[in-house]
Amino acid sequence: MADSDITSSEIAELQPASGTSWLNLKELSGDLVRGLWEEIPLFRLVLGTCPTLAVTTSATNGVGMGIATTFVLVASNIMISLLRKIIPDMIRIPAFIIVIASFVTIVDLMMAAFTPELHHALGIFIPLIVVNCIVLARAEAFASKNGPLRSTADGLGMGLGFTIVLILLGSLREILGNGTWFGMPALTGIMGLFNYEYQPMIVMVLPPGAFIGLGLFVALANKIEEKRKGKK
Amino acid sequence: MDNVVEILLILVSTIFVTNFVLARFLGICPFLGVSSRIETSIGMGMAVIFVITLAALSSWLIDKFVLIPFDLVYLRTIVFILVIASLVQFVEMVIRKTSPALYNALGIFLPLITTNCAVLAVALLVVQKEMDLFPMLFFAVGASTGFTVALILMAGIREHTVHARIPRVLQGTPISLITAGQMALAFLGFAGLVKM
Amino acid sequence: MGRLIIVLTVICLVATIALARVYDITKGPIAEQERLRTVSAIKAVLPAFNNDIDKDAREVVVGRDKKDRDIKIKFYTGKMDEVPVGVAFQMTAPDGYAGDISILMGVTPEGKITGIEIISQRETPGLGNKILQEVWRGEFKGRSLEDGPKLAVKKDGGEIDQFSGATISPRAVANVVKRGLEMYRKEFSHGG
Repeated sequence: MADSDITSSEIAELQPASGTSWLNLKELSGDLVRGLWEEIPLFRLVLGTCPTLAVTTSATNGVGMGIATTFVLVASNIMISLLRKIIPDMIRIPAFIIVIASFVTIVDLMMAAFTPELHHALGIFIPLIVVNCIVLARAEAFASKNGPLRSTADGLGMGLGFTIVLILLGSLREILGNGTWFGMPALTGIMGLFNYEYQPMIVMVLPPGAFIGLGLFVALANKIEEKRKGKK
Repeated sequence: MDNVVEILLILVSTIFVTNFVLARFLGICPFLGVSSRIETSIGMGMAVIFVITLAALSSWLIDKFVLIPFDLVYLRTIVFILVIASLVQFVEMVIRKTSPALYNALGIFLPLITTNCAVLAVALLVVQKEMDLFPMLFFAVGASTGFTVALILMAGIREHTVHARIPRVLQGTPISLITAGQMALAFLGFAGLVKM
Repeated sequence: MGRLIIVLTVICLVATIALARVYDITKGPIAEQERLRTVSAIKAVLPAFNNDIDKDAREVVVGRDKKDRDIKIKFYTGKMDEVPVGVAFQMTAPDGYAGDISILMGVTPEGKITGIEIISQRETPGLGNKILQEVWRGEFKGRSLEDGPKLAVKKDGGEIDQFSGATISPRAVANVVKRGLEMYRKEFSHGG
């Protein structure tokens, strides 16, 4: 798990050591960054939409779901990468599912024991990480073909990319729909300074707000990508 | 009489009030991915109703007669997902052998269903809520019908909007999500109709 | 074929053993968290007490549900230096807008409400779920059955605020509080 703490700046510092063939840091940082924009799961591939829409009624829930999913992604990527030569091709998918489901259950039990409020808020969407397409997709597309180190970086990158979108959507919905951000007064506070009462846009914390909010975010991501491509 | 009313309430509640796709956010991936033609949506929907009902029944039985008696409730997630995955394989095999026509209609959707979170969600919900056999069956049928209704409505809207001039950045996923948002808004009108 | 089955079985076994370990480790903390949840809710609705709240609790059968099972209510008595300061118990309103609303209410020996906490609810965010607001829940403090019709939402001729656009949720809570007080009087009127 120590590998998971590597940040891109640290990778840059470590660059001279990359001469060894098994530890190609440039490749590793590439694996990490890929999940953050080029293949950012929610915008590019539209995977994992169910938990995204369901739990983002507040920014805090977004962070919780993001961290739980990232943990499962990294842990199952490492395990599957280690087992990739042992598992026969024919039973690959059931084996992956068992590995993923085990880590999901561990997260579920841990959260019930140590973060009961978050566990309560996320509810059924914690066990449903099992069927979050991102996890199985990374196991199949990456971890089953690459070494544990690169798989860690990949899992971490994808997990962080997923988490960032959850936080963005959670923030948008909580700020507009409830006037708060991470439970602290945001719009309510600002409006309060001018002696106005903020009337929350309730629709944003209801289901329609989730769909429309994510739709607008994906459109924004498309726009940014279009601009970026245009410049090249 | 009471039972009939209860069953009707369960059906109305799961199909409209807490629609699996539009109010509970379950099964969004196939909802956004598949539904571009009404016929395919109906095929997908039928396959989902079939698998969800079977999956809920088998999970419920395993939970009642194996997991709870042996104090293994923490294995629910892992056991249920394996049940669903094998069930889908099994159903695919049976249909291919017995009815080529049905296989042609439903076959291509079956592999997609394992990762449809609505299936695992129904299995988990019926055991978490400690439902009895019949309410459980109708809950499963209602939930999957709700999914199918949303899927078919979405396909109907899409068939009509293919020729609409949509701004380039909104094409594809964004406009589907926004359409779904408006449908969810409409379905909010059912809130409070039935209490579950 | 044999190898496939062996590999799959081994993976299943390892996974089950690992999960059993994690389950054993987390079992204690999960039970403790659940107990803490109840205790902290009781602390919020009762005046200060210093007895072991789990010991001074008794379960009473108050009726039967549709499936002919007992409906039980657990009454927790809070005591300060052996003097009872109040009783906390959970009530469920079946008539919320989107389903059951469970509350925990605290009542003094004189039958006055010391506070209510919402334990679980699924009311509409921004409308019905304003029942979670502390200011609103505070309106119940000090009320008792002597208030008679005043213990109801304003629309029903009482003194409890409702919210614009949402009467059903506050009405459900007000009604269940009243029922709770009646239940309390029935159970504790003989000096119990």
